[in-house]
Amino acid sequence: MTPRIESRGKRITILVMAIGILIPGGYGFIEKLIQFVRTLNTETGAGFTIIPISNYFLIAAGMACMLAWAIANGMFHDIEKPKYTMLESEAELDALNHGVGDERNHSNG
Amino acid sequence: MNDKIRNSAMAADPRTLVDEKIVLAFLSASLAYVLIAMLAGLLYSLQFIDMYPFAGIEFWSPGRWRFVHTQGVAYGFIANAFLGALHWAVPRLTRHPVLDRRLSWFIFFAWQAILVATVVGVLFGEAQALEWGETPVWIDPVAQLGLILVAINFLTPILKTKGPMYVSLWYFIAAFIWTPLVYAMGNFLPEYVIGGSAAGAIGGLFIHDLVGLFVTPLGWGLMYYFVPIILKKPIWSHGLSLVGFWGLAFFYPLNGIHHFLYSPIPMFLQYGAIIATIAVELVVTTVIINFFGTIYGRGDALRSNLSIRWFYIGMVFYFTTCLQCAFQTTLTFQRIIHFTDWVVGHAHLVMFGVFGFWIMGLMLYLLPRVMHVDEWYRPRWNHWHFWLTGIGMLIMFFDLTSAGLVQGFLWKALAPWSDSITASKPFWLIRTISGTAIIIGQMLFIANVFMTWRLSKSGALQSTPTQHDPTHEDDAGAPALA
Repeated sequence: MTPRIESRGKRITILVMAIGILIPGGYGFIEKLIQFVRTLNTETGAGFTIIPISNYFLIAAGMACMLAWAIANGMFHDIEKPKYTMLESEAELDALNHGVGDERNHSNG
Repeated sequence: MNDKIRNSAMAADPRTLVDEKIVLAFLSASLAYVLIAMLAGLLYSLQFIDMYPFAGIEFWSPGRWRFVHTQGVAYGFIANAFLGALHWAVPRLTRHPVLDRRLSWFIFFAWQAILVATVVGVLFGEAQALEWGETPVWIDPVAQLGLILVAINFLTPILKTKGPMYVSLWYFIAAFIWTPLVYAMGNFLPEYVIGGSAAGAIGGLFIHDLVGLFVTPLGWGLMYYFVPIILKKPIWSHGLSLVGFWGLAFFYPLNGIHHFLYSPIPMFLQYGAIIATIAVELVVTTVIINFFGTIYGRGDALRSNLSIRWFYIGMVFYFTTCLQCAFQTTLTFQRIIHFTDWVVGHAHLVMFGVFGFWIMGLMLYLLPRVMHVDEWYRPRWNHWHFWLTGIGMLIMFFDLTSAGLVQGFLWKALAPWSDSITASKPFWLIRTISGTAIIIGQMLFIANVFMTWRLSKSGALQSTPTQHDPTHEDDAGAPALA
């Protein structure tokens, strides 16, 4: 399978969807997260806030590190390439498996 | 032997890459648990229609059998199936085998022992007072260790890969990191560290993180693998799939408290959970668009390939349940549906209608391959399985959703409690009937798998696994090899 260049229209669609979905979602989420953190200063809310917030930050910090590592290692350099290489690899394994099967059937027969 | 030579040698011999016996073992265990869990659910449902056969016997207490139903589905059916599919997908995606096959077999037997101990424990009244975490307390550390071993076994081949990773591997990495963390948070913090309603808040996080950070990433990861390889077509956009992944990673973890709206947990936490939930639903849209973009132009596969049909019906249910989630977590909806059967309908749709359907689709693809058969014992039984399960699930979902609305409005109108019970009885009867249809479907499938396996042992159905796709409908009408 030969890797193809994604059409300009598809790239624009993806960009619009990424921005259109992630920005409103992210805005609402981050705004609420800031409210949570502010609640840490209040006497009544602190006890309740600290556990979910620390859980969240623990997980989010790990994911942020992974995102930074992925960017630094060029994981998003040719972002569409993996979908082609995955299928090529599968086809190759299937072909090899076929060979193994033939060999097995031959020896059985 | 250097790594390069060893890797190419492994890649050249698929027999060393995937341990097909462990895949078959996990999938078989999953099928055994789906039957046990569903029969427990059926038994539990009988008490709602005044037909419970073991009333008054402690061991047969419906509450205990409900635990067998929920735990059996989550840890027996879904976890076993995912572990089986991962033993196929991870080595093939990475071109490296899992860390150690002996470790895989140890995990398999240890996991089954944990499940049996859980079932026996809860039936003898040892359940832990945590929703979805009812496993007896003495099992928790063992299960925690098991999850860590699973992560080590699969992360080793994934971390050996070079270059940009395919989206499925991103999801798998996240699931292997998240799941042990979520399990520890949900089972140890409320039990030993935190008390009162704060423990309730943690319980809420645990329930939903179990769905969102264990089942969802593995489910999506597997779909991003199986759909393209069956359609022999790349996913519509790899970039968009990564948008979905990173969105899930950052928005999901605060969702869970929406399970406890209108509870003593402070309102600002409840509002936060609502916002996080709506943010996740927006992210989910990217996944749905991507999968439907992928099948665009190949719609014939929905008719001709049973695995694809299971997958895409599951995706329609997925979109339905996520859309439902975005609305039902608002306080406006909660005024009506809180504590009603609406929630039960939603839970069934997401756990079985979505992830259960995806599992059935991947089993149809994988089982013939790992049994090395070219044909099912009775191909038509697979279609009966699909239709009985699909129609049963749809009826159950609409039935329980309607029941929830009736109950909610009656309670809101301050009608006597007994009125809502009387009004619910017809819905509960339909729930039992639709559940029975689903169980008959699973029995047919299990019987078909067993007979196919038996014939494969005799060599009657033996062939090359890649010669053709046994899930193809054109084969359904072909004479079965009996």
